[in-house]
Amino acid sequence: MTVWSVLKVTVVLWLLRKAARLAGRLLLAALAVAAWPVTLTAAAGYVAAWLRGWPPVRLGRAAAWALPVTAVWLAALVLRDHRWQAPPLTAQWERGWRQLSALSLVRTFLLLAPAAVPAGLGLAALLWAWRIYAITTGIGGRLASAPMVFDARQWRRQARTARGRVAAPGAVPLLASGGRIPVGGTIRTVGHRWHPVFTVPHQMCGRHMVIVGATGSGKTNLMIRLWAGWFTAAAHAGQNPLLVVLDCKGGRDARRKADRTRRLLHGAGARRVAIWPDEARLTLWDLPPDDLAVLLYQMVETGDGAAAYYADIMQAVLTLAITAPTGPPHNAAEFLDRLDARWLEGAWARHPGQAARARAAARHLPDIQLRFSTLLGRLGPALDGPGTLADADAWYFILEGTREPSVAEAQAMAITELAAHTATDPFGAPRAMLLAADDYSAVSRRVPLSNLYERGRSLGIGVQVSAQSWHGLGGSEDERYRIAATADGGIWVLQTPHPEPLAALAGTRRVLETAHKFIGATWGNEGTTRQQRAWTADPDVIRRMDVGQACYIRRGAATFVQVARPRPSPLTLTPAPIPACPAMPVPARRTDAVPDPVPPSLDDVFGPGAPL
Amino acid sequence: MNPFDALGLPARPDLTDEQVRAAWRRIAAATHPDRPDGGDPARYAQASAAYAELRTPWGRSEAYADLTSPEGPGTEPLPVIPGGPLPPPMQAARLTAAIGCLPARIWHGRPLRLLTRALAAALLSLGVLALIPGQPAAPAVITGLITWFVLTGRGDLAPPPRR
Repeated sequence: MTVWSVLKVTVVLWLLRKAARLAGRLLLAALAVAAWPVTLTAAAGYVAAWLRGWPPVRLGRAAAWALPVTAVWLAALVLRDHRWQAPPLTAQWERGWRQLSALSLVRTFLLLAPAAVPAGLGLAALLWAWRIYAITTGIGGRLASAPMVFDARQWRRQARTARGRVAAPGAVPLLASGGRIPVGGTIRTVGHRWHPVFTVPHQMCGRHMVIVGATGSGKTNLMIRLWAGWFTAAAHAGQNPLLVVLDCKGGRDARRKADRTRRLLHGAGARRVAIWPDEARLTLWDLPPDDLAVLLYQMVETGDGAAAYYADIMQAVLTLAITAPTGPPHNAAEFLDRLDARWLEGAWARHPGQAARARAAARHLPDIQLRFSTLLGRLGPALDGPGTLADADAWYFILEGTREPSVAEAQAMAITELAAHTATDPFGAPRAMLLAADDYSAVSRRVPLSNLYERGRSLGIGVQVSAQSWHGLGGSEDERYRIAATADGGIWVLQTPHPEPLAALAGTRRVLETAHKFIGATWGNEGTTRQQRAWTADPDVIRRMDVGQACYIRRGAATFVQVARPRPSPLTLTPAPIPACPAMPVPARRTDAVPDPVPPSLDDVFGPGAPL
Repeated sequence: MNPFDALGLPARPDLTDEQVRAAWRRIAAATHPDRPDGGDPARYAQASAAYAELRTPWGRSEAYADLTSPEGPGTEPLPVIPGGPLPPPMQAARLTAAIGCLPARIWHGRPLRLLTRALAAALLSLGVLALIPGQPAAPAVITGLITWFVLTGRGDLAPPPRR
């Protein structure tokens, strides 16, 4: 074989390959032109998906929603012809080609639309899915950076679409059908099913949920939405819900948040929403005596080592004072009165063993009384009653965890104990309960979150915990993992600088990565594709999220959401105009009175009124 | 008389301190016993008592709770939605209620946008009827337009009550 013949064969083969490829493309173009109504619909669907960042499933569902059109068309054909026959698509298509005017083309499109629209949208879904696959695996795109550029651009478009979706008043109500809580517009899903509005079943709030996000990341909006959604769902299900919120940071922001929560819960149907300690009180003296003794013991900081001796004495004294035969104390003053040797001996006079213990501890009693007097004085009257958790539909507790951590810790212990008591009260009505602790890290030194979780789980209380960062979830890495890994209601991650540990809980997924062989400065037509592992919830994406965007991690899948600001339905509290002044009977003017107009300043007569 | 009525205010828990105080001052200025005409002491006392009750958010919350609690007047218990399928009479009642609150949902939603959608769907339907009259495709395309309007217009409605 000569060189010339080899060259000839090579050229012929090259020409054949090119000709086959050209023929294929021409055939495809001819098909696209011939089936132009389908092509037109597919192109429109593809461009819409590209511009709005829709996933292919969105186009697939649009195609499914277009099927009733086809069904009506077929039904109309049968009704017209009184018999079943194949739709006259060909005739209508041919008619369109005979008169190539704009009006004729529109008419042809309309005649073929019942078949062309579902087919076109389905085709667009397939093409869009292929495009995403090709780009993400690296077999498509002109440049090596195509996957990154494509992903960044699609994220921007998906976020913009989600923002537009949550702006619609009815798109994200407080409660959707089936008891699901709408959270916001879906930006992107990895592993979860895609829906335009992301919802979580309200039962998820009845389990354990973790929310991590920096200040100003939209955490409050998310939490209030979840509370209101859970409350509405539980109320609709007739579960008599009780929401207990611990705002452990306190401060002025907490008051504003409490007020907002109250308005929203009223809109959701709550009748009584109590804000503690500003407007409502609780009594911890209603607790069962044994529990009360343990709680009071825990509320005072006790040391270990040599101090354990005094701790034991204190516990013994508390048990004697609270479980006395005369019954438990009814308030702080009565309790402090009991921390007295004469009182204890008198109360236990008929019980020699306990009376002897009281005598033995007599010299420590003034110290113990002083400690509890100080503690109860710092706690203030808000835990001294009257009132129980069962009195309201929702309680918002403001603990000054930033200003007075030790007081807030003691208060948090008391409140969680009261919540546990309410949940297990055999005489109370069964209620669904959600205990939400916002910025719990401020008070978690003495009541670790994991304890709260475990108690909540055993009592059937849903526990929702929020922190500003991964490190705020607990004092040690072990504690943090124990909290996050047991959050079976899901983990919400908002903008935070260190999301890796939380993102790791979503796991990894298998992705394809293609390496291209370079020939000179351009890609050659050879390369390899291999399987790799990638984050399910990409920490870099989480780190770059805007305010109001959140990532929900559950069961090895993640969904990125644009959280909608919670608003009650305006129809729940129908706005009524406030009348200028109600009609009142005008008394007859007395003729003997000296004319004296209303004083210019009403405060002179009525006092300054309520402080604003 | 409930305290909201005594001050001539709507029974709402989300009234502001300013609204309550302004209502009380109006009534107090018109009925105070120190007025030259003697005022209306009974009405004044009633309004004062109501103001004392409603002057704080907690007080308003309590008064509202009393009004709407099952034991109190104006009972409006939350609708309980059972888990399984509803019997036909309940389904019909729910449908009637849903239709009844539709005008309010439109009004409190985005009525202009909804109107634009409705006009677009109506005009396109008219265009279809003009272009392919009597063809089986006409009702089918109009069905598609109605489907589009219903699916996209839902977001423009305000959420139903307590949702």
